[in-house]
Amino acid sequence: MKNALRELRRRPGRFVPVTAALILLTVLLLFLGGLLDGLYIGATGALRAQRAAVVVYSADANDSIIRSRVNETTRAKIERTPGVTAVGGLGISLLGAKVPGETTLADAAVIGYQRPPTGVPAVPPPGDAWADRRLESFGVRVGQTLRLGPREVPIRVRGWVEDTNYLLQGALWVAPETWRGAQNASRPDAPFAPGEFQVVVADGPGDPAALARRIDRATGNETATLTKDQAVLASPGTRQQKSTFNGIIAVTFVVVGLVVALFFALLTLERSPIYGVLKAIGTTTRRLFAGVLVQALIVATAAFLVGGLVTLGLTSVLPARIPILLVGSRAITTFGGILLTAAIGGAISLRRIARIDPVAAIGTGT
Amino acid sequence: MFLALREITRSRTRFLLLGGAVGLLVFLIVFVQALTGALIRQFIGAIDHQSGTVLVYSADARKNLEGSRVPLDTVSAVAAVPGVADAGPLGEGTFSVQAGGALRDTVLFASVVGKPGAPTTVIRGRLPHADFEAVASDGNSDKGFRLGATVRVEHSSRPMRIVGIARDANYSVSPTLFTTFDTYQQVRKDANPAAVAVMPSAVAATTDPGVTPAEVRDRINRAVTGVEALTRDQAVAESPGVASVGESIGAIVLLCFFVVVVVAGLFFLILTVQKAQSLTLLRAIGVRAGALVRALLVQVVVVVLGGVVIGGLLGWLALNAAGNSLGARVEIGSLLQTGALVLGLSLVAALGAARRVLRIDPVRATVPGSLDP
Repeated sequence: MKNALRELRRRPGRFVPVTAALILLTVLLLFLGGLLDGLYIGATGALRAQRAAVVVYSADANDSIIRSRVNETTRAKIERTPGVTAVGGLGISLLGAKVPGETTLADAAVIGYQRPPTGVPAVPPPGDAWADRRLESFGVRVGQTLRLGPREVPIRVRGWVEDTNYLLQGALWVAPETWRGAQNASRPDAPFAPGEFQVVVADGPGDPAALARRIDRATGNETATLTKDQAVLASPGTRQQKSTFNGIIAVTFVVVGLVVALFFALLTLERSPIYGVLKAIGTTTRRLFAGVLVQALIVATAAFLVGGLVTLGLTSVLPARIPILLVGSRAITTFGGILLTAAIGGAISLRRIARIDPVAAIGTGT
Repeated sequence: MFLALREITRSRTRFLLLGGAVGLLVFLIVFVQALTGALIRQFIGAIDHQSGTVLVYSADARKNLEGSRVPLDTVSAVAAVPGVADAGPLGEGTFSVQAGGALRDTVLFASVVGKPGAPTTVIRGRLPHADFEAVASDGNSDKGFRLGATVRVEHSSRPMRIVGIARDANYSVSPTLFTTFDTYQQVRKDANPAAVAVMPSAVAATTDPGVTPAEVRDRINRAVTGVEALTRDQAVAESPGVASVGESIGAIVLLCFFVVVVVAGLFFLILTVQKAQSLTLLRAIGVRAGALVRALLVQVVVVVLGGVVIGGLLGWLALNAAGNSLGARVEIGSLLQTGALVLGLSLVAALGAARRVLRIDPVRATVPGSLDP
């Protein structure tokens, strides 16, 4: 172990190649993870913030909020469902917003709500909105009046909320009548009547899946109710993005393992005579192998630290339209994954170390 | 050549590990490129493969067809712009459609028969001639969108018959049906009985001979208020998500190329350093430096080509053989292009090792103890 650390200290140049390759792979992993998180968090914030256990869609909407429509009659049935303790309407319109003093339209999601989600204050007065900080990048400021959609429906920004966006569009949380006004003015082919919403969020004690089933039974299957987690994954593209990116990340981890295995296999080959001598004077295979593992883990840690800094630098200069977001939990899992694959890669050398014969080594004159 | 190949057969493990690493990196590049290409085709294939060479969106749409609505009189305003050969309304919307025994998210693309906006890549069947006929995007037959099949938009009074199949014609990663504009208006009203008007999503236009789509786009933007005209290529490239996805994936692929080069370059450098004594001896007994460099380059070529074959095979197994919902496939052309680039870059990266070989002084072999490790 001591020898392994001493070698790292005295001959760091020997470990530069594998560290350089691992730095690049770390950047790749953090970049991929950051993209996945950015896409997921930016697309699903409005649903993740909901306090309710379930989201109720109309059965014909195929789990799409935009196509769903729950009228007052259906809502009354949901409210009467045994176990339902609270119900609130939710409606979302994706519209362009004119920002005073800016030439570029802001991507906005006007969200009408009745039950405040986590981090969103009580329903504002008609015409006002709680804006998500994402809209700051479009030049939006508190107190400004934005003009939404082709009819330029005015909405005044009252204050900020965070992580509540929908489909990468900046959320504007408004009173139900404000949302309905913006929707009906901008989408005359899909107007909503007073009291009508796209979906209804409902709460109740116990298992959310059981609550969802009870609601659908109570409405005579006019509705298709999803638990909050299911609703988050039902957001357009979310499931496909997750599986695609996770596939790429998994392959990258395999490459990390292979690169480490390749490097330490070469190193072990080079050190075979020395290992022979060390074995001849009583060093166990276990100790030699532990030294290789320690070196692999230290190299992986150093590469992760430098790769992390490089990624931070890169993301700060990337254009804002690339939805990359670095979160702590992703960094921790990436670090854990790199350590694990580096350890597995280093372990490939175990067989070769075990096979080194000290007698043969002495015989060669080394 | 003989030395290079003998060394590979004798030291199989290390060359296999390197070949495996290069292969996985090539697989990663091929996999990412194929998925991105398929994803982008699935996102905007319908725009790319419809006949309008200029598309006119509402100014507030932010180049997003789904978010665009233009008044009907915009069609005649666009048609009157000099250089416009023909113009027609284009409808687009996502609907719940009963197909193949299930409810499916389906995009409707609608144009007036004979006007711009019809699909250009019909591979089977024909274009719609009448209302409630449709051309379906290919690759969705397993979901009930087969030639001759009937599907029904939820709440619609009439079923829709599929009379043709078009290649690469999806929109928003969903099955897509190209139908008539009257059909689109009808199903919109059926789905939203309270609708006060069904406006076109955009105007699709074609240009007179001798006038480019870019020129016509600029004229429309000057002459018609409240709209943003785009050439078809521009509408594809600047669709929301396409540019950012393209740039993000481009950065990932670039990083992968970097990793291949670093791994291959450094591996051969380490190998050369490890073999320095043997190489010095070879030089001392008359082997030319050029021959040793050639042997090194042969090994680079063998390892990279092996890696490309491994990467291509893995890609084929993961995408072509296993299949995927996006229709992503490894194309031989793209694989060869990637392989050539990886090979070229690896040869450049091996120059460091080659330089080391050229610097070997054969006289050192005559100095007692100089070849000891």
